[in-house]
Amino acid sequence: MSDKNFNMDKDWRAPAIKLGMITLLLASVLSFLPVIYLYLVHGVIPPVSLMLKSWGMIALLFGAFYIVEPVSYYAVLGLAGTYMSFLSGNISNLRLPCAAMALDVTETEPGTKEAEVVSTLGIAGSIITNLIGVTLAAFIGTALIRVFPPVIANAFRTYTVPAIFGAVFGQFAIKYPKLAIVGFAIPVGLRLFTTLPVWVLIAASVLGTIAVAKLIFSRETPASV
Amino acid sequence: MAEEILRIANEFGVWVIAAILVSLVAVQSIMYVKLAYAAADKIGMSQATCKTAFRTGLITAIGPVIAIFIIMVGMMSVIGGPMSWMRLSIIGAAPTELTAARVGAEAYGVGFGSPEYDMMALATSWWTMAINGVGWLLLVGLFSHKLETLRDVIGGGNAKWLAMLSGAAMLGVFGYLNSGDVVAGGARLVAVIVGGISMVLMVTVVIKKVPALKEYSLGIAMLIGMFGAVIVSLMS
Repeated sequence: MSDKNFNMDKDWRAPAIKLGMITLLLASVLSFLPVIYLYLVHGVIPPVSLMLKSWGMIALLFGAFYIVEPVSYYAVLGLAGTYMSFLSGNISNLRLPCAAMALDVTETEPGTKEAEVVSTLGIAGSIITNLIGVTLAAFIGTALIRVFPPVIANAFRTYTVPAIFGAVFGQFAIKYPKLAIVGFAIPVGLRLFTTLPVWVLIAASVLGTIAVAKLIFSRETPASV
Repeated sequence: MAEEILRIANEFGVWVIAAILVSLVAVQSIMYVKLAYAAADKIGMSQATCKTAFRTGLITAIGPVIAIFIIMVGMMSVIGGPMSWMRLSIIGAAPTELTAARVGAEAYGVGFGSPEYDMMALATSWWTMAINGVGWLLLVGLFSHKLETLRDVIGGGNAKWLAMLSGAAMLGVFGYLNSGDVVAGGARLVAVIVGGISMVLMVTVVIKKVPALKEYSLGIAMLIGMFGAVIVSLMS
């Protein structure tokens, strides 16, 4: 590798963390602008007790995901990819598939510094398409939606997500068939035989599959671990 | 919900606010692209590789973005144009945002979209969507760099193991994401199976014969899975 004095910390991690922190904290503050707008322009704002009540209700539903998702996705998204993906959202149906495809097409090994660059660019590409799509929807969506016959519109609405989830799973199952069985069996088994909350299913699937991977890896390369 | 509420949700000022957040997402992406190109140059990666990576992300996103587009047009009649635009440009996909909007109305004690859904209900819905998204934004903004340390510890610097680690994480995540559709059965299960098999065939057979299709392989597999599901749903 012809590194022209590339320093992972100085040239990648430090600026990536700085940019990520600033943009995500800024987005946190700006997220409340619509609420402030309603207060300043229309004089309406929920009383504190109502704010706390709805916060409690929504945190009960999604609070565990705030922690489980970043931890679970980090190994695939990388540092910059995590900041980008958690600002722009739609992680499972857009960011993860696009990062994985970018690595595949450029034949880059995951977990390397090249992979950080490639997945960052793949995710950036997906964000651009995403922003074009939602901006078109916002401004000419109601007119444009008529070009889709109802059957096609319904197909996209209902089946693109399961189809892309299946396709990404297939893409990785070829590389690690044994792990694919584990990654499939844990969540399906837990869904069929338990009533555990969804965030437990994610954590169990990801950590369980990683644990089995570690076992297989240690057995195949005993000297290195 | 009353016409009046939707009119307020579509006021010019709300569009301006939405535009600010959408721009922030665009600016962040552009800055990371610049950082990536600068790093690529120092590592000695070719510009061609960088362009291919970017283009692959751009293309692979098209199918899922069409789905987001269609869902968003429906969502605009419920929470208004600017909030749909803003919320679907940042963290929280459509089901999450609609859940938050509904929870806000319920906390206030009215039905979401009902005639009782007034200005206060709107404000509570907007508050709930904001505070929910901020959960992810704050935790990731403040603690992601710690995850890098965690990965170093688990990964232990072994390249082959790091690759296998991210493969295992990916299979765990997508095994979980598929499990709901697998258990649901019917056309959704067909979408998963046909999408999965199509991708396996794309990688093992089609791309070997037509390498030019590589960047499109996931998009093509997704379309085949989707049409397989439509055919089954029309037959049953």
